[in-house]
Amino acid sequence: MEFDHRMTRRETLHTLLKLTGTATLAGAGFWPTAARSAAQRRRFYIEVAARFEGTDVKTLTRKTFEAAGGMQRFVSRGDVVVIKPNLSWARRPELAATTHPEVLQSVIELCQEAGAKKVRIADNTIHDARRCFAITGAGQVAKQTGADLIYPRSSLMRDMNLRGSRLEVWPVFTPLVEADKLINLPVAKHHSLSRLTLGMKNWIGGVDGSRWSLHQDINQTIVDLAHFFEPTVTLIDAVRIMTRNGPSGGSTADVAVKNTLILSDDPVAADAGAAMLFGSRPEEIGFIRLGQKQGLGTADFQQLDYRKVAV
Amino acid sequence: MTARRLVWLRRSCQALFLAFFLLLLVESRLPLDVYQDYSLAFLSDEDLRLWWPVTFFFQLDPLVGLTSLLSAGVLISGFFWGAAVLVLTLLLGRVFCGFVCPFGSTHHAVSWFKPSLKGDRMVRANRKSGGQRVKYFLLILLLAAAVLGLNVAGWLDPIALLFRSLALAVLPAVGNGLRAVFEAMATSDIRIVKLLSYGAEILVAPVFGYEPKAYQTAWLIGALFLTILFLNRIRPRFWCRFLCPLGALLGLCSRFSLLRLEKYPDKCTQCNLCTRSCQGAACPQPGESWQTAECVTCFNCFDVCPEDALTFTFRFTPVMTEKPDIGRRAVIGGLLGGVSLPLLGRLDGLVDKTGDPRLIRPPGSLPESEFLQLCQRCGQCMKVCPTNAIQPTLAEAGMAGFWSPHLVMVQGYCEYTCTLCGSVCPTGAIARISAREKVERPVKIGSAYVDRGRCLPWSGNAPCIVCQEHCPTSPKAIYLIDELVSGPEGKKLQVQLPYVDLKRCVGCGICENKCPVRGLPAIRTIAAGESRSMRNQILLL
Repeated sequence: MEFDHRMTRRETLHTLLKLTGTATLAGAGFWPTAARSAAQRRRFYIEVAARFEGTDVKTLTRKTFEAAGGMQRFVSRGDVVVIKPNLSWARRPELAATTHPEVLQSVIELCQEAGAKKVRIADNTIHDARRCFAITGAGQVAKQTGADLIYPRSSLMRDMNLRGSRLEVWPVFTPLVEADKLINLPVAKHHSLSRLTLGMKNWIGGVDGSRWSLHQDINQTIVDLAHFFEPTVTLIDAVRIMTRNGPSGGSTADVAVKNTLILSDDPVAADAGAAMLFGSRPEEIGFIRLGQKQGLGTADFQQLDYRKVAV
Repeated sequence: MTARRLVWLRRSCQALFLAFFLLLLVESRLPLDVYQDYSLAFLSDEDLRLWWPVTFFFQLDPLVGLTSLLSAGVLISGFFWGAAVLVLTLLLGRVFCGFVCPFGSTHHAVSWFKPSLKGDRMVRANRKSGGQRVKYFLLILLLAAAVLGLNVAGWLDPIALLFRSLALAVLPAVGNGLRAVFEAMATSDIRIVKLLSYGAEILVAPVFGYEPKAYQTAWLIGALFLTILFLNRIRPRFWCRFLCPLGALLGLCSRFSLLRLEKYPDKCTQCNLCTRSCQGAACPQPGESWQTAECVTCFNCFDVCPEDALTFTFRFTPVMTEKPDIGRRAVIGGLLGGVSLPLLGRLDGLVDKTGDPRLIRPPGSLPESEFLQLCQRCGQCMKVCPTNAIQPTLAEAGMAGFWSPHLVMVQGYCEYTCTLCGSVCPTGAIARISAREKVERPVKIGSAYVDRGRCLPWSGNAPCIVCQEHCPTSPKAIYLIDELVSGPEGKKLQVQLPYVDLKRCVGCGICENKCPVRGLPAIRTIAAGESRSMRNQILLL
């Protein structure tokens, strides 16, 4: 907003109307629910696993959101929804280096069914974005669903203050912060430094700049980024996971089938639950420990509104 | 057909072919709307390829085909297009120059837009001169060098020269300029300006490249291009008249052309209009002997003659026209130069003794001596490379390899499953390989090594695994060993130290590209270990 120009009468009226409107709405929203807010704020954790191998991935995704009370719980009519999958590498979907295209497709469809005005797929990839989007299947998904595929480019990167304890001003991929609702849709895989790449680490694909230096304090930078982006909900794709050679993999020998999806509005809990799939205890993972310590969420996901569903 | 119509036909053809050339030039890159069917991608490794026949003009260019045939004994794919042009030239003269050649059309347009001289001075300028022999000298030089195994035709071949200049210098320069404007607009607080900048970028990016492109020596390529354009101020179509080796080749073939310029000296009033409008200094005026080899078949003389003293007709009786004026000096000089060039080019030892470590050729490149027999230095591979890694050489390949492609990993890196460069190489200097072949053989372009003094964990400065993380092979060619190292002031630091497994390393250079030590990274790629050279192996295989 500009402060150095004189407001016209019209503008003044406009602003006043807006202010009173906002205040009324906020008050109205707050009044009856204030007592229940603590209960409502209780976060949830849902883990859905297919009982049989070969269960349709799309069904699995739908069941997961159904268990959480439907996509309309997260997405309202007219929302601009931005989905942040992990499409870092130009790898075929079977190699588990990137988010499963069918999970991505169902999430987009669910958002559209919930009345989203626009669904965007955005990721600042590591390999060339055109090749990543083409080979991971995201390009085809975008084409079929009509979602916008946002290609990372320098004009979409804006320096922002992340207010992290390690990261301050850093270039951010703007579509991610210009969303009404942000859905984090990572794939679960191995990583040589942070041990695992899950939901919180997925936000490294939300910034630009000298990302190669983040590794010098990987856990704190992951937590800083997770604090900054704060998605509406995190859905971790563990349909198949990469158990070694991460994060880029490159061989089906590195892949294990889990047929599992984890949905949570607590980023730390989602990661903690996913870590269990690798046979790790959550507290072994540095960024999960640090995330809990710095108040981002809880690693003790069973404390939450916890549900485990078999389909 | 009336002269007027012929001239308009020529202009439309020129515009059409120039537009098609520019379209193919722009399309020599991975578009945004490529996608693979992921249900198939689970099973097959279908490669990403370009839809447009981006090498068409190189196939059409007989000089590219001929020099490849002479130097490597290879018929390039689509060589029949070039052969067809030669046959067409035998029948109709240099119609390629007049109707098709996009570089010729560029000069034609520049010469027309800003005529160099006026009136009588133009008439004098358009008289035949000895300088026109230079192009024969250059042609003979290039052909002789090609016979001896050094194909440098691409330095002067009009198609390669135009492609290289536009792709490596003009498009990136204009694109970067425009992008700077849009980025300034995008930071604006005024909403409409901001939105406009995004819109404009969407329109401009598919033409000028999605990301800023940079090419070594591009300033030289651009300066040369501007100079050649400027030469049109001295003589119309200066390049075509004096320098173009392809024009010379077609000129030699046009000797038996059935299409002839008929002159009626009795009608001529010596008004000189024909000479004044002549693009090739081919002596159209009645009374002079028409130079078939110099005529670019622009039909200007036919069109401007007010007395109908000139006309083009088909003559099927075998009449030899004027012999092309090559000159003995051009022949001897060309032969001498052509013989010397390959010999001198090898004196630096870069082909026969040991290559420059920075000479990392694109994946699928032929062994060096064969590579130099085929590479046209056209810039196709450099234009198409999605990471901007492929760059023209300055000294890395020696004089003989000037402007041939090599990878500079601080600019980009070779993407593990990308094989676009080989798929667009017009002559096959970079073989057409599939992604599966590239990964499974594997095709190595070099190998990486750690510079321990600079490396963050090795020097005890910080933990870092960026090179290992990006390593695309499975299992990774860069592996980590946990170690306690001494940091600043002797403080002990638990880190993971990167090592390179040379057996697995393919030299893709993504480690070098992503290393936090910028400029001269702590892990670097050298050509040693490249699979195209037996002599350049490190390990006993």
